[in-house]
This record gives sequence, C-alpha cells and structure tokens, in this order.
Amino acid sequence: MSLLTNDVEKHTALYEAAFNSGDADAVNAMYTDEAVAVWEPGRPLSGEARKAAVKEFLARKPKMSAKPRQSFVTGDTALLIVDWSIATVDDDGAPELLTGVGVDVLRKGADGNWRYAIDDPYGEQ
Amino acid sequence: MSIPGVTVDFDVNNPDLTGDTDTQNEIFIQLFNSGDGALFDLLYRDDAISNFSGSPLTGEARLAFFKEFLAPKPFLKAEVTHAYVAGDVALIGVRFSVDSTGPDGEPVRLEGSCTDVLRLGEDGRWLMAIDRPVAGTLLPE
Repeated sequence: MSLLTNDVEKHTALYEAAFNSGDADAVNAMYTDEAVAVWEPGRPLSGEARKAAVKEFLARKPKMSAKPRQSFVTGDTALLIVDWSIATVDDDGAPELLTGVGVDVLRKGADGNWRYAIDDPYGEQ
Repeated sequence: MSIPGVTVDFDVNNPDLTGDTDTQNEIFIQLFNSGDGALFDLLYRDDAISNFSGSPLTGEARLAFFKEFLAPKPFLKAEVTHAYVAGDVALIGVRFSVDSTGPDGEPVRLEGSCTDVLRLGEDGRWLMAIDRPVAGTLLPE
C-alpha cells in the first residue's frame, strides 16, 4: 500500500488512512529517511528506533482522527498544524484517548511526493 | 562590516543562521532588535513565509512588513524550548517576549511561543523558511 501524495493538503488524510490500516510499513514510508518523530515529548526518535516505535504503537490497533488546521507551503517545505486524537489502549489494556495539536514539517522529495521530516504531535503546548 | 548593536558574527553578503541552535537564536534576536527590517529579512529565504503580521507574508510584502514593524524597535527576548533537525530541515520552538510602546506611549508586552522552520540551502547556509507565532501574530491586539 502506498499512500504518498504530491498534494500536501491530502497528506494528513492519507496518513490517517495508513495509520488506521495498521500497516507499519505504509506509515513508515510516509517519512523521509532522516525524519525525526517526537511521539513522547522531549524524546525525539529517528532511524530504526522511529520505525520500531511505529510497529509497537500500531500493535495496539489505535484509531486516529486528524484534521489540518493550518498549512504553510513554501517550495519543497511545508508546515502543517494538525488537530488530532488517537483512541488506543494503555499498558493494562484499558481504553485511552490521546489528543494534541501536531506541528508537522514536510519535505517534498525528488519524486514530487510529500513526506514527514519532523513529526511533533505535541508541538503546540 | 559592523552593524550597530549586532555583536554576533553575521555577514550581510552571505547571511547564514548556521546549524547551531543557540547561534541561530542569538542572530535572530540581534537582527530583530536592530530595528532594520531589511537587515532582518536577510534571515529569510526569498520564498519564506512569515506569520508575524497575523497573515502569511512572503517576498516584497514580508520585507515591507518587517521594515514597518521593526522601525520603532520592538525589543525581542527569546529562548529555545526545543530543536529538531532532520537532514536539511529544522524545527525550532522558542518562548519569546516583545516589548514595544502603545499608541499613548504606554509600554506593551507581548509574550508567547513561536515555531520556526529552517532550511539548509544547497550553498550550505541555514535560513528561515516559515515562522509561526502560536498566538497567531506578534502584533499587540
């Protein structure tokens, strides 16, 4: 499954679809090789640690709802401000609702598709 | 060449925020506080977007706003809260205050957070690509 897009306005919806499908490879394909994700405030992950964290998180079959509130696009760089929530379970298996306002930096690759360079879901606090 | 009030190493002919977060912040503060909008605008890529006015501005409109906004010398203080670098792009978060003077000469202080996206150009220089104050603007209400 490939959910890459050359239309930055569609990126968030496609990411939501990849995430909710539970397909970690599809989710990870939406990041640049050098991407940094900060799923826990203050703990940036990159490379294999970032990819492994996606697999681990998706194993709980979380469901995401995400809507971009603002987007700023300049050439091959974009900043998206995204309202999101994720229904998942905690370590004891009890339902847990996570919410935040994400600050996402995207880069357009040589193939014309947008990918996350920096994914900071709690970026606006 | 030396610029009044600017002590940090900065070449107007080759503007570069550098890859060092603290240096970036110091250059940004000093050029903002210089009161020279044209000088401050050198920190931005040609197609960069600034939201300081409350609207996304680029190119000539951005330059015109910086000239008008900085002329009365609003005073910026800023400290970096987080910085992430992913190859040729960086996301910096700062807490800031801007002290200025209101229409009746009264002191006005604006405080908030700002998100900055920086890009590393092919020429090796880091410059502003997007700024976005979380409150939406750097202008007092």
